[in-house]
Amino acid sequence: MNSKYTFYLSILLIVAGLFAGCNEDDWLQRTPKDRITDEQLWNDPNMILGLLANYYDRLPQLAGVFNTGTNAEFDDAMWSGHVDQNWRNDINYGDDYARYWDYTFIRDINLSLENMEKYSVKLTDVQKNQFNAELRFIRAYVYFELVKRMGGVPLITTQLIYDGSGDPSSLQVPRAKESEVYDFIYDEIQAIKNNFTVTEGSRTRANKYVALALQSRAMLYAGSIAKYNNLMSAPISTPGAEVGIPASRAADYYQKSLSASKEIIASPEYELYNPGGSSKGENFYKLFMDKNAKEVIFAKDFMTGKVHGFTYDNVVRSFRSDIEGSSMLTPSLSLVESYEYLDGSEGTLKDKDAAGNYIIYNNMADIFANKDARLYGTVVYPGSQFRNMPVNMQAGVAIWEDGEYKFRIGNLGTTYEDGKVLTGFDGPKDDDQYVSNTGFYLRKFVSENPQDGVRPSLASNWWTWFRLGEIYLNAGEAAFELNDPSALGFINKVREVHGGFPANSLTALTIEIIQNERRVELAFEDHRFFDLKRWRIADKVWNGQDSDSNAVVHGLYPYRISRPGHSDDGKYIFERVRPTRFKRARFFRMANYYSSIDPAVLNNNPKLVKNPFH
Amino acid sequence: MKRNYFYIILCIGALFAGCEYDNFDEPKSTLSGNVVYNEKPVGVRTNGPQLELWQDGYALRYAIPVYIAHDGSYSVSLFDGQYKMVRKAGGPWEPQLNDTITINVKNNTVYDVPVKPYFTISNESFQHTAGTITANFTVNKIAEDANLAQVRLFIGHSVLTDQNKNEQAMNADLSGITPGEQSSLSINLSESLKSLDEVFVRVGVRANVTNEFYYTQVQKISLN
Repeated sequence: MNSKYTFYLSILLIVAGLFAGCNEDDWLQRTPKDRITDEQLWNDPNMILGLLANYYDRLPQLAGVFNTGTNAEFDDAMWSGHVDQNWRNDINYGDDYARYWDYTFIRDINLSLENMEKYSVKLTDVQKNQFNAELRFIRAYVYFELVKRMGGVPLITTQLIYDGSGDPSSLQVPRAKESEVYDFIYDEIQAIKNNFTVTEGSRTRANKYVALALQSRAMLYAGSIAKYNNLMSAPISTPGAEVGIPASRAADYYQKSLSASKEIIASPEYELYNPGGSSKGENFYKLFMDKNAKEVIFAKDFMTGKVHGFTYDNVVRSFRSDIEGSSMLTPSLSLVESYEYLDGSEGTLKDKDAAGNYIIYNNMADIFANKDARLYGTVVYPGSQFRNMPVNMQAGVAIWEDGEYKFRIGNLGTTYEDGKVLTGFDGPKDDDQYVSNTGFYLRKFVSENPQDGVRPSLASNWWTWFRLGEIYLNAGEAAFELNDPSALGFINKVREVHGGFPANSLTALTIEIIQNERRVELAFEDHRFFDLKRWRIADKVWNGQDSDSNAVVHGLYPYRISRPGHSDDGKYIFERVRPTRFKRARFFRMANYYSSIDPAVLNNNPKLVKNPFH
Repeated sequence: MKRNYFYIILCIGALFAGCEYDNFDEPKSTLSGNVVYNEKPVGVRTNGPQLELWQDGYALRYAIPVYIAHDGSYSVSLFDGQYKMVRKAGGPWEPQLNDTITINVKNNTVYDVPVKPYFTISNESFQHTAGTITANFTVNKIAEDANLAQVRLFIGHSVLTDQNKNEQAMNADLSGITPGEQSSLSINLSESLKSLDEVFVRVGVRANVTNEFYYTQVQKISLN
């Protein structure tokens, strides 16, 4: 009886104790441990920085940030990787090619800007202005990506909030004019450029000069669309100017680009990469690998744990350190030939003389001798070195038979009956995968460190969004279009420092020279497609014709002469080839100047005007 | 034991029975015809210009692309119903975005789509003499606001011969071409074409507002 009483009493006590615990307000109003509130986020600079890292990571690209595949879809290279991606050599630019419509990202940024105003009480004004400026820079960059692919797009700078009325029309914003989007980018940069007080000197976060670099590039695009679109026999435009900029605005845009470029060039913070003690070609390669290069204005950094597979993708075949991969992006002959000779003559390689006879070379590299040093920094060609070792490139052996040279080829790394190399370990080999089909490999961005080509550790060299070399070319082009005599100096400076040309190598400029200079300097840096579009020559360069040396990617194969007893025995000749894997000439239609808008987007917003030809 | 087998068979049978509800029938009707001007089919680049089909009555609208063969013919598999055909921009003819054609598709419907090319070529004839092909033709201006950009003779070794796929091609000197009057264009065949028994030829004309040619129908020319 007594023990039963004690038992009930203790149960009663325990239950009462539970209730006592509940009384505490703290228990019900604890800070959640699995989520971050807006108040916490917008009052903690470190957390905001974490959010910004996410946004920087989402900056858009088409063929940038070590995007191996897309770079194989233009005229600078073809795909020599796994055959399952051979469609890149057979690409038909669809109406939606290069389509971009990331309003999720725009909304994220707008939301951040508004929430920082709403919730932040602990941040100093300096911090607030800094973060505000970075967010608006990222938004301006995204709008630039939108306008260069789609033309004028709806300019949304605040959250769009549905009022629940059943009528969504207040959320359906029509497209701005193409010029209005460029003007928005310019105005934003003017508003924020002096607010970056925390990130001065940074290479990976936006600052004044990063914003000016965006101005330099975006205003150049706007100026050239204003000029060259109206020079077309049938300019591409819409009645509401969602596409097309009046020619009268060209000078204004070029001037805005030039003034930004000049300000960056004048800054002691940046200089063209030019260390002593190594060759110009080596320097041009190292410019992208050296994270202390003062040429770089804005980069996307990589490090252990955040890596990219570009070296795995593109390393020279016999230098690969993984069991697969290598050789995916292989530069085209037309790119190699666009690098001029140092004496200023055209870059066409001298493989045959005027009579059609092969020109004989003692060494394979001789045919590439005296070329623009940027060729060495961009492309691994036969007879050159990689990782301080000679590459083993030779397509086959040329045998003298019946009064002409006949070619013998074998598998990679085979020996001919004379005991010497038949086909090198690095090819080139036609119609094969993971070996160059063009006779060239990529050097730019491919790491010298063998470990960088091994999965999963991979490579951590950074991606340069903006660098001073481009700014010089932007300045040169804008000045040229404005008939400003300083144009020549900007272009010559880049040719001298990066290309190894003598000082003042050019005495006169044409737009074609500038176009070629951008092709060779900025190859594989996500410029070519957009440059050809803004000059309105994409449909002429990529004209879809099988006979065109630019629209079709060609290669150049080196052969060793085996002709015992003859003075040419053991020397080399070169043969131009059209790789079997390259299927279809690049064909850029008028419809590709502005990508089509997704029909789902058009369904949601009937106020949107379609782009021309769609 | 026997009972077990019975159950297994029953279960498998049930699986098959379910399939019927999951699948839609494939579209069984076809819409076909030619793209025509003045009741003559318009030659195009194979798989080049496109038409669009739309269907009303659904919340979301997506275009059905219609591809056109080199001779101007097209064919689409559809469900029965009412469709709208749009002659969109980008072809060798004037876009007629607001002048929609309504087509009722039932079983095998044949419909010729009328278009208004910027330019056409008529009265074309081709002669071959000793490795030279001469084309005689008349360029006609149809649309008022387009200018002549290119007149081009194409030679190929297959029936799919056009601006993108050809073995040899030659531009006419535009100053020598007057719309409505006869013009001619000669080309010396390349060595590799001369060795063939026959080649395929057509003439194209392009207006400045498009990058697609209007082509004559492909003709086979015997070289022997």
